[in-house]
Amino acid sequence: MGENNLTAIYFCKLSNGHTDVVDNLAVEEYAKKIPNVRITWQAADLSLTNPDFIVNSVKENNLSRIIIAGDEAGMYKSFFAKALVKAGGKPENVLLASFKEYGALKKSDTDRAKAIVACAVYGVAFEEAAKPDVADVNPNTLVIGGGIAGIQASLEIAGGNQKVFLVEKTGTIGGHMAMFDKTFPTLDCAACILTPKMVDVGQHPNIDLMNYSEVQSVEGVPGDYKVKILKKAKFVDSSTCIGCGTCSEKCPVKVPSEFDSEISLRKAIYIPFPQAVPNKYILDAENCRYIQENGKCGVCQKVCPVPDCIDYTMKDEVVEINVGNIIVSTGFKTFDAKKADQFGYGKFPNVLTSLELERLINAAGPTEGNIVYRTQDKKGNWIFQDGAGVPNKVAVIHCVGSRDENYNKYCSKVCCMYSLKLAHLVKEKIPQADVSEFYIDMRAFGKGYEEFYERIDNEGINIIRGRTATVEQCGKQLKLRSEDIEGSKILEENFDMVVLAVGLEANKDSLDLAKMLGVTVDQDGWLNEANYIGDPVNTFTGGISIAGVCQGPKDIPDTVAQASAAASRVLQSILNGKINKSIKDLSLESIESRAKELSKIMEGKV
Amino acid sequence: MSQRVNPNLKKDLSKYGSKDWNECFHCGNCTAICQLTENESLFPRKTIRQAQMGLKDSLISNVDPWLCYYCGDCSESCPRDANPGELMMALRRWQTVKYEWTGLAGLFYKSLASLIIALVLVAIAIFAIAYTKDFNHEALMHFGHSLEFWLIICVFSIILVPNLIRMFYFTVIKAKVKAPFGSYISGFFFLIGHMFTQIRTFKCDKQTTRWLAHFLVVSGYLSLLVITVFLNWFGTENQLIINLGYITGGLVFIFTFILIISRLSKNRELNKYSHSTDWFFIIWLFLMGLTAFLVRLFIDIDMLTNNFWLYMIHLMIITQWGLLLVPFGKWTHFLYRSFAVYFSNLKIAGLKKQGKL
Repeated sequence: MGENNLTAIYFCKLSNGHTDVVDNLAVEEYAKKIPNVRITWQAADLSLTNPDFIVNSVKENNLSRIIIAGDEAGMYKSFFAKALVKAGGKPENVLLASFKEYGALKKSDTDRAKAIVACAVYGVAFEEAAKPDVADVNPNTLVIGGGIAGIQASLEIAGGNQKVFLVEKTGTIGGHMAMFDKTFPTLDCAACILTPKMVDVGQHPNIDLMNYSEVQSVEGVPGDYKVKILKKAKFVDSSTCIGCGTCSEKCPVKVPSEFDSEISLRKAIYIPFPQAVPNKYILDAENCRYIQENGKCGVCQKVCPVPDCIDYTMKDEVVEINVGNIIVSTGFKTFDAKKADQFGYGKFPNVLTSLELERLINAAGPTEGNIVYRTQDKKGNWIFQDGAGVPNKVAVIHCVGSRDENYNKYCSKVCCMYSLKLAHLVKEKIPQADVSEFYIDMRAFGKGYEEFYERIDNEGINIIRGRTATVEQCGKQLKLRSEDIEGSKILEENFDMVVLAVGLEANKDSLDLAKMLGVTVDQDGWLNEANYIGDPVNTFTGGISIAGVCQGPKDIPDTVAQASAAASRVLQSILNGKINKSIKDLSLESIESRAKELSKIMEGKV
Repeated sequence: MSQRVNPNLKKDLSKYGSKDWNECFHCGNCTAICQLTENESLFPRKTIRQAQMGLKDSLISNVDPWLCYYCGDCSESCPRDANPGELMMALRRWQTVKYEWTGLAGLFYKSLASLIIALVLVAIAIFAIAYTKDFNHEALMHFGHSLEFWLIICVFSIILVPNLIRMFYFTVIKAKVKAPFGSYISGFFFLIGHMFTQIRTFKCDKQTTRWLAHFLVVSGYLSLLVITVFLNWFGTENQLIINLGYITGGLVFIFTFILIISRLSKNRELNKYSHSTDWFFIIWLFLMGLTAFLVRLFIDIDMLTNNFWLYMIHLMIITQWGLLLVPFGKWTHFLYRSFAVYFSNLKIAGLKKQGKL
């Protein structure tokens, strides 16, 4: 370059359909004050059709560098590189300041965006300049959320001979994966992979498993967090319960089973499923007749073979633990299919969500794996019971609640593949069944996934390009209307059962926890990682890592990999005895002055 | 069939009111939710595809935009907010311009200023004519009556019929439709019935009230036309004709007023976006009904001679309407919509004959 480092900055448009974005004008105002910055352009004022304007500006102002700042900075790189070369500059002097990559997404992140731009101007990588101090670390670790991510991370850390506290909100660990029948693309049984890991967690001497518990508050600094955990009363003494199940057998109250996605009923005293870890009974106070109706039952206590095991006076308990690192793996919730009322979920009994079908197909589900119609029991509950008729025509509708401006804009990533898997499983259980899939785009994105798609396609399943517009009850059947885009016709077909491939959404627990931990969330509610590409595990809060779907939709292999990565970060800090403090606590000035220093050192070397 | 891709089509179409359709990712939701789409004419998605690819020739030959009655279901449920219904609307305007042979429709649709200038010029001309007749009210009313008659004849033979022939050329001949002769005849009777009733609307849900308002305006307008031009409403002594005139005139301005209000309130998908030509069409229709009603009322209560300005205004509005807004504006949809169904049926008959259906 003319080696003068004179710079122009182009600010990309930041909308992406969201209104809460970085304040570009404030960043521009700030950038103008950085030495060497000669010109700034806002996307709104500069149309990127005529490179000559850029060429002239570069020549007139004797510029040698152009920085592109914004979310999709890379998209404009070739345009500016060509212009710079035309003006006699070097293409490598077009630099990117990516807001998204370093987690500057919302208006409240404007200071970080400023720091990102400053680093680009000084020619220093953001992560080099934004390096926090280190602190001593408590070797204990807290893992929040006992799904496959939490299980994997806990096992990795405990396997490294370090103490782990694993907090799980429900009665058992296992999360959503425990509900699945098979995994794609190998069609391995999900439980065969998961249950050994669950048992390992339950038995591991280094893991302190707290089920039916929630994180109440987190205080302290990176390396030394004080966490209060609310252990909800189980009304059963876990240390003496032998898991015989007599209490549950005799309990007169039946309520929808959360584990079975509410397609079957459980008792008020229950374990979520037979392989639950820990395998100890829990009494659900909200539905217990004894607790709700002032002692009008008490059957479970009478039949329990262990003296004093069931205690209706048990109280919630708060324990306090000290940890150095925290891994957040709170997972997701599925899209509420009732919101997309054109598909009739909640109105028509045989419109199912994918999670419901998953439980229905599972051999440990309410019908032992037989796919049947949803029917009403004597008390009027719509559940699946053995003996009901078998559907012969099944449709799977993709992208329910995903890729839709009316609900969630983003792709939930897993639905295409799990839908193919479900189609295969239906065909396996009911060989004569006619199974159709209605999709927008087939996103077979992973190793072996395209092959899986081809395999299912060859199994005689109708895979139809075209989003279903409406589902209506038509006698006993459900009428679907869709465009068959490849067949160039309107499809109006009756099906016995319709399965909605619901997308993934951030759950409320993640949002509450993020607030508590000072971790930011993006516009869709997913937790923000420190660096979208280079560091998808750490956050800007020191000692807090994230793993699994709470960071963004992903499948099981990716979740497991990220959980192991999070564990390795934790183990690294424990082995060093030191932990990085929070990047978010670094002031703009300190990042800027460090960037200035580093740039001087670099220039000195040259 | 090869054809040239026109990269400027998007820019061109955006002048007719549609902007978001490039968002479309072809999920097929709009076609599937549409009550009017059929295997022989799949829309709106296929039409969006043609627009996105810049296939201008295909679009000119495509009658599907006229088969859409804009219930708005597609736009409401579109997962991309691509507004397919509004694209169909914009394409109807675009095709109106393409069918029109003088190019004036294109000028008025794209430039509001030129339309306003033309309206002003017509008003001045009427004023000038009145001046040459010394504002003699009987001479002017006589002139106005014959002007209406000749306007209808001329506009029909010089503009509307040639435009319909152009539409036929684009959508049937150029599209290489080979329909059996019988289908031309049988389709024609359906065409006439459909032209006045637009019964196709009933295939859409939730369109009944809208159809009724539209039907009353259309039948009111057509009967008013017959009563004023051929039965000489303003000159007649026949009480039956006078009363019929009041009824039809009232129908026109009352129901156009309702339509104007609903366009202003933007309460439904179909009236969220209004083009300038939509406004001129409906406001002039309203003014025409209202002024005709008042003119006859003033005649009956013997006040017209003292308030001759009223007839002047009426004559200006009638002339602007007949000379500008009918041949070069939205009025033509009355013909194109009906003939589109006719041509589309020819296409289906042709495909059936060739065994492609």
